[in-house]
Amino acid sequence: MRKYLVLASIVLTTAVVAYVTTYLGALGPLGLDTRYLAKLFLANTYNPAHRELTAMSPEAVTSIVWDFRGIDTLYETVVFYMAIIAALAIYRGVSYSNVRRGSGLSLIVKVVTKLLIPINIAVAVSIAAHGHLTPGGGFQAGAALAVVSVLLAVVYSAHSFVELGVNLSRAVALRSAGLLAIALVVFTPIVISALTGTQAYLMQNYVKVDSAFSFPAHVQSQLISGTLIWFNLAEFLAVSFGFFIIFMLLSLREEVVREWVGKEDEH
Amino acid sequence: MIDEIARYVGLALLVAGSVINLIGAVGLSRFKNFYLRLHAATVSTIGGTFYPLLGLVIVSLATPELGELRFFMGGSLLVAAFILLLLAPAGSHALARATHRAKISRPEPVIVDYLAEDRGD
Repeated sequence: MRKYLVLASIVLTTAVVAYVTTYLGALGPLGLDTRYLAKLFLANTYNPAHRELTAMSPEAVTSIVWDFRGIDTLYETVVFYMAIIAALAIYRGVSYSNVRRGSGLSLIVKVVTKLLIPINIAVAVSIAAHGHLTPGGGFQAGAALAVVSVLLAVVYSAHSFVELGVNLSRAVALRSAGLLAIALVVFTPIVISALTGTQAYLMQNYVKVDSAFSFPAHVQSQLISGTLIWFNLAEFLAVSFGFFIIFMLLSLREEVVREWVGKEDEH
Repeated sequence: MIDEIARYVGLALLVAGSVINLIGAVGLSRFKNFYLRLHAATVSTIGGTFYPLLGLVIVSLATPELGELRFFMGGSLLVAAFILLLLAPAGSHALARATHRAKISRPEPVIVDYLAEDRGD
């Protein structure tokens, strides 16, 4: 009886919400200006005829994320950066030196994982390097590469990070290199135009009405979409090693972390 | 003619996959304990995903209207099917092994359990 009551209430709620939102127009009229904005983006993501408006990329999402609203994405990256700094601050002083080697999962899973990891890395790199042509981009590629760290910790052992030479400070250095590369791409137009005595904007991609600076959209007839490929690759580095840091910290055993935190409390 | 036959074979695999998926879903919710449910889950990953992917490979290769793109589609589907064939058994093996070691679920009915005897339980 109870089951039917739940079922009936779900169906009734769905019907009421659907009726109110569509026939009664509870969400208000469908915004025509929103459609106009969508049309504008779709018309300009790849439009060689309007170089001052286009992002020269057939991938509308990457164009919007790294060109039309680039500064918004830059701040999102900064938020992610701060989150990892917070995690590192909580785990400060914890090192991998006294992590013991675990036995991991069975041989079957280990062999399959050994086959999977190169495929995983190849997929991640291709998501990043094709981010301006196909769905994907730096963040998605970074998340795909971070899966490798989870596989290593779960299937082998957290000690495999030590064996592979991936330690926390190296991961932090690589992530910072990614962020510095983003900053470099952001400031390049300003620096170059200052040297040549013209004007440019932060994060500028192609020529604007009052600025002649432009990143190359093609390299030997291969579309690279100006800044988009550089932003994607740099974000890939930053995000993948950011996630690496998080998963390396989370895969530490609780006793190891407690030992370190307890040591600090004694002082 | 051969294209037509191949396409129907591929579509038949697709339909068989959806039926197997339905059977797997029913088994997953109705079977009594963990090991039986795991069996139902693997039925729907191999039977319900691997074979439909193979069917799509055949359909895409047997559709000349797609042009050169059909080799690209068929190839990537074949790679996806191969990776799935590797991963699904490894995943269910890891789940079953972990459950057996942790003694979370008892296989029922159990006739003989050499693994537990070897471990001395």
